[in-house]
Amino acid sequence: MKVVTVGTGMAAAEFVQRLRLEGFGGEIVMCSDEGFAPYSPCVIPFYLAGEPLQTVYWKGADFYDRYRVTPRLSDPVVEVDTARRLVRSAAGRNASYDRLFFASGARSWYPRPEWLETTGVFGFKTLTDMVAIDRYVSENNIKKAVVFGGGFIGVDAALALWHRGLEITLVHRNTRLLSQMTDEDGGRFATAKLAAKTGIDIRLKTTVNEIVTNGGQLKAVELANGERIETALLIVSIGVSPNSEALCGNDKGVASNDQMLADPDIYTAGDVAVTRHAVTGEQGIFATYPNAMQQARIAARHLVHGDGSFGGSINTNVLKKHIDFPIVSAGRFEGEPYTWQQGDIWRRVYLQDGMINGYLIIGDTRISGFIYHLYLSRKRVDRNIGTIISEPRHDSYYRGVLGVH
Amino acid sequence: MKRIFVDYKKCLACKACESACAVEQHPCHSLMAALGDHKTQVNVRVLGIDHEAFPLSCRHCDPADCLNACPSGAISRDPESGAVLLDAALCKACAMCAMVCPFDAISFKVTHRSLYGRDVAYKCDLCNERIKEGKSPACVTACHSGALVYAEHDALRGRQAVKSLRTYLLGAEGIPAHVELFRELRRKEFARRRDGEQ
Repeated sequence: MKVVTVGTGMAAAEFVQRLRLEGFGGEIVMCSDEGFAPYSPCVIPFYLAGEPLQTVYWKGADFYDRYRVTPRLSDPVVEVDTARRLVRSAAGRNASYDRLFFASGARSWYPRPEWLETTGVFGFKTLTDMVAIDRYVSENNIKKAVVFGGGFIGVDAALALWHRGLEITLVHRNTRLLSQMTDEDGGRFATAKLAAKTGIDIRLKTTVNEIVTNGGQLKAVELANGERIETALLIVSIGVSPNSEALCGNDKGVASNDQMLADPDIYTAGDVAVTRHAVTGEQGIFATYPNAMQQARIAARHLVHGDGSFGGSINTNVLKKHIDFPIVSAGRFEGEPYTWQQGDIWRRVYLQDGMINGYLIIGDTRISGFIYHLYLSRKRVDRNIGTIISEPRHDSYYRGVLGVH
Repeated sequence: MKRIFVDYKKCLACKACESACAVEQHPCHSLMAALGDHKTQVNVRVLGIDHEAFPLSCRHCDPADCLNACPSGAISRDPESGAVLLDAALCKACAMCAMVCPFDAISFKVTHRSLYGRDVAYKCDLCNERIKEGKSPACVTACHSGALVYAEHDALRGRQAVKSLRTYLLGAEGIPAHVELFRELRRKEFARRRDGEQ
């Protein structure tokens, strides 16, 4: 049997490793539009912050050799012919498959793609982006940067470049940073704290409308409010869209069942896969590493043993980069809120039917694992949630275990 | 697979485990070096919970949520000992592991294992080097009251079940008399402080 993966990201690497660990001996081909061994997108910003490139290869730089994989790199897959079981690349190369693992991830979405032709404008999604930014910053001795987009990737970019010593302006259209993983109050708290701790100049409720160039080189950006900021580096990170065109013809993601099958012989996983939420049951793309990994494992297990079922994704996420100020969240911010704040720590849990519907923990990771498991296990906590989040020594889990209240 | 078990009712909160762990984890392996060193790493933390005490450290779960959440390849399991290990050289301190650990057994700070001058995640490594030499983990060796026990998982679980039944039938806790006395004193002291507050 021959297996082909579209993508060499985290899902594909986990999938291939699992296949080999489960004893799969057939041929494996991995296709990518980039030229690297599988790397971790969570780690790549640290390369910009001055840490060695080697650490991005989370399963080893020798991955393809170690797992006996034929890599087909730097050649994007543009079409999947499901009838003839072929994938065709941009260079016109075909690869036949018995089983396809479609995990092509997501790409940055650019409001004005033509900006990227200007020297000094970059995306912030791939290792290719990082290497280009790193080289540009070093060669031109860049001291200032503007980051457009204050979602997870935008904040990640701002913090990585801030850590490198650049002066950062972060432009975001919403009233707060990380608007997807925070509610209004928590997001404002986190935004204010991030600004205070780093000195990053955060501009909210505005966008980068225009860039000012000179001979193909970026000179400045113009904001929606007419303000002009001189800069030779602009990072555009306002959103991503799934790379599902090759399989589905649109960028809405790839629908999958509980065996991660999109088609009888096509598996999918990761940032391109539409899956069910483990708690709410709603369909969506839950683009975090733990989901990608579980999905990839289920797919590998199903391919080798014919069993296994995916229990659903969880939209839990944490941002803690370069500074010791974690922002943890999961679930939906709807229901009855319970809030507690002390200094740098801010916590809010939303209850519905006595169970945790969503939560937000800022400034400290203590009790976040406990709350996470209460959320997943659907325990009723309406009687003691106030105590749990406000325990002055953050030991509510152990109080429960020892029966000391 | 041997694991560290916590018999918290025997914990006297003396923190000998914390000191032994700090010495064991310190590159100089000396108490004098570990004292006052802000990079000293202590992988076990004795929680004082009113009149009770609980020595908290990594449980080396299987499956381990932290291992499944780590996106940088820093957390792995030693196939021989079953210990869940964290490689600080690969850790990016992204907190994915801490976000899912129900025991709060993972913390962050700049340790002697930090390579890039920033904080890394740290947790108990079951003294993986020591146990491979046939020794017990440092904290267990240091514990004089029997609150920390290094034993085979299944055998100890069986013994605990028998003991629990005996406790249930005979009402005997099986805690040594002097420890029982100490617990009694501690309970009274806490009650006295609580009443004093009101």
